[in-house]
Amino acid sequence: MGAILTQVAVSGILLGGVYALISIGLTLIFGVLRVINFAHGEFLMLAMYASFWLFQLWGIGPYGSMPVVVALLFVVGVIVQFLVIRPILNASASMQIAATVGLSILLQNLALVTMTANYRSVDTPLSKAVLSAGPVLLGVSRLLAFLVALAITGLLFLFLQRTYLGKAIRCTAQDRTAALLMGINIDRVYLVTFAIGSALVGVAGALLTPLYPVFPTVGTYFVLVAFVVVVLGGLGNLTGALLGGFIIGLVEAFSGFYVPELKEAVYFVVFIIVLLIRPTGLFGVVGAEEVGLK
Amino acid sequence: MSATTRSEGSMFTAYRFIPRSSLYVLAGLAVVAAVLAFTVKDKFYLHLLIMMLFYAAASSAWNIVGGFAGQLSLGHAAFFGIGAYTSTLLFIDLGISPWIGMLVGAALATAVSGAIGYPSFRLRGPFFTLVTIAFAEVLRILTLYAHDLTKGSIGISVPFRPAVGNFIFRQLSAYVYVALAFLVVAVLVSLWIENSRLGYYLAALREDEDAAQALGIDTARYKLVAVLVSAFLTALAGTFYAQYIFYIEPFQTFSLDFSVLLAMMAIIGGMGTVWGPVAGAFLVTPLQEILQARLGGGFQGLHLVIYGAVLIVVVILLPQGIVPSLAAWGRRALGRREAVPASPKQGDA
Repeated sequence: MGAILTQVAVSGILLGGVYALISIGLTLIFGVLRVINFAHGEFLMLAMYASFWLFQLWGIGPYGSMPVVVALLFVVGVIVQFLVIRPILNASASMQIAATVGLSILLQNLALVTMTANYRSVDTPLSKAVLSAGPVLLGVSRLLAFLVALAITGLLFLFLQRTYLGKAIRCTAQDRTAALLMGINIDRVYLVTFAIGSALVGVAGALLTPLYPVFPTVGTYFVLVAFVVVVLGGLGNLTGALLGGFIIGLVEAFSGFYVPELKEAVYFVVFIIVLLIRPTGLFGVVGAEEVGLK
Repeated sequence: MSATTRSEGSMFTAYRFIPRSSLYVLAGLAVVAAVLAFTVKDKFYLHLLIMMLFYAAASSAWNIVGGFAGQLSLGHAAFFGIGAYTSTLLFIDLGISPWIGMLVGAALATAVSGAIGYPSFRLRGPFFTLVTIAFAEVLRILTLYAHDLTKGSIGISVPFRPAVGNFIFRQLSAYVYVALAFLVVAVLVSLWIENSRLGYYLAALREDEDAAQALGIDTARYKLVAVLVSAFLTALAGTFYAQYIFYIEPFQTFSLDFSVLLAMMAIIGGMGTVWGPVAGAFLVTPLQEILQARLGGGFQGLHLVIYGAVLIVVVILLPQGIVPSLAAWGRRALGRREAVPASPKQGDA
């Protein structure tokens, strides 16, 4: 029993890494632009399709093609920021939600029309490889996804702390008027932030392709989890998203073990409780849910 | 609430009369729909008419909390599903007429909406929207889980036993009349709210919640009233759907897509106005039904590609929605013409 529980815990933590990676882009965008991108899941779907087709057409594995996918999603981010997000930055929350939900519907069904509803998956030798550490089994792809999630979060943190652009992004997140007065080009900060957030979900898409099949609505499932993770960690809080990812990964693994039919309900209930009791999330700053980010 | 406000009347007191023009539009709409139900024989067009009226009613119901109160719910499928499942289960398991089951379902949905709404309304903007999504998802999962009662993902078929008492009709035109009745009720309730004190409180809190509170408006209370009314009407639509389609299952009945569709119609037509959701539903539904019928399975999802694009364009270019934008254009066009003869009179006086 002990070994099984260890296995469940390890699976949960690895799964949490994947969730964290999907959520970091979402939380970064919210923290700076104060827009929740409801199309975030569809960006993930685009990344997974890109990864799939690069493998299918040219035989480039998901890890090899990751830079291409990330660059592609960066460009998608730039285009979407220009066409959809920038015009609605000062609109009401309802209108912002409506626009990104519209984008989500558009992308999801564009995929349905062009790619059909078929499930497609990439089979590489790595995707089925398993390492065993004593009685505990580790999927190589999952382990990689977990490690990359940690590494990317670390890099993002360094970027935000050390570089000029990173500081400008944090400054804008804290107080956009003050940032504007300090001579920061806010428009550019928004553009870069949205593009980086999209590129991060590109990384997630590349890492998920060996693990999950891709289909037009794959994003819906992950984006709901990402919302839970992001709110749990405190919207706009990067470390919070990482920890939130692990918590939800563990919650899902254990509830999947004990009450498999209700595992999704369990994390939604956790989500509702967190929202109602502490809407700033476990690690957020009180008041952040109204203002955006500390 | 202060004593002075109470002496002026409760929130349900009419603040002003419902404009005659709105009642004429509603009457005209009802006459056209009834005449069409009587004359149109083609099954597809009758179905289209029913779906237009159904979505207009459901979107109007959503609009009471989503539009008038400005609380963007994407969880209305929960109330819809409660309505559909309650009346259907009461009918199949206990033989209770869906007409009664409909009211039971609506009462249940209203109670649930109060339980959800009361704690959730503290949340603002996207946080409120997220919690509504989560509640609908939990209900969907619980419906799947309670398969002894709900048959889980297999869904429930409503037996075809036509009788007025069973809310099942042989003639499609009968469904037109029922859907029309729902729409008339939803629009009348909307008109009444819009012109009551409640409507003014809701408009105030929608525009600026802090300012509304500062003026002494109990915002939590009025938002709650809005969601109770909205959930009641949405649940009625759920029962209608079950009785018309004859089949319900959790994935569709409680789907996020359905919640989004109701919101989308209202936003495209004009959120927070009485006619916005109706116009939105009348524009969007034919697109959906005709594209689905013409293109069949080959281009599944094409209509949604168009919806998504329309939604983005409307939000960016016409954030008020189509109806208020048209009304503004109309007023401007009329205003120019009237301004010419009006000005000399003012000069005389």
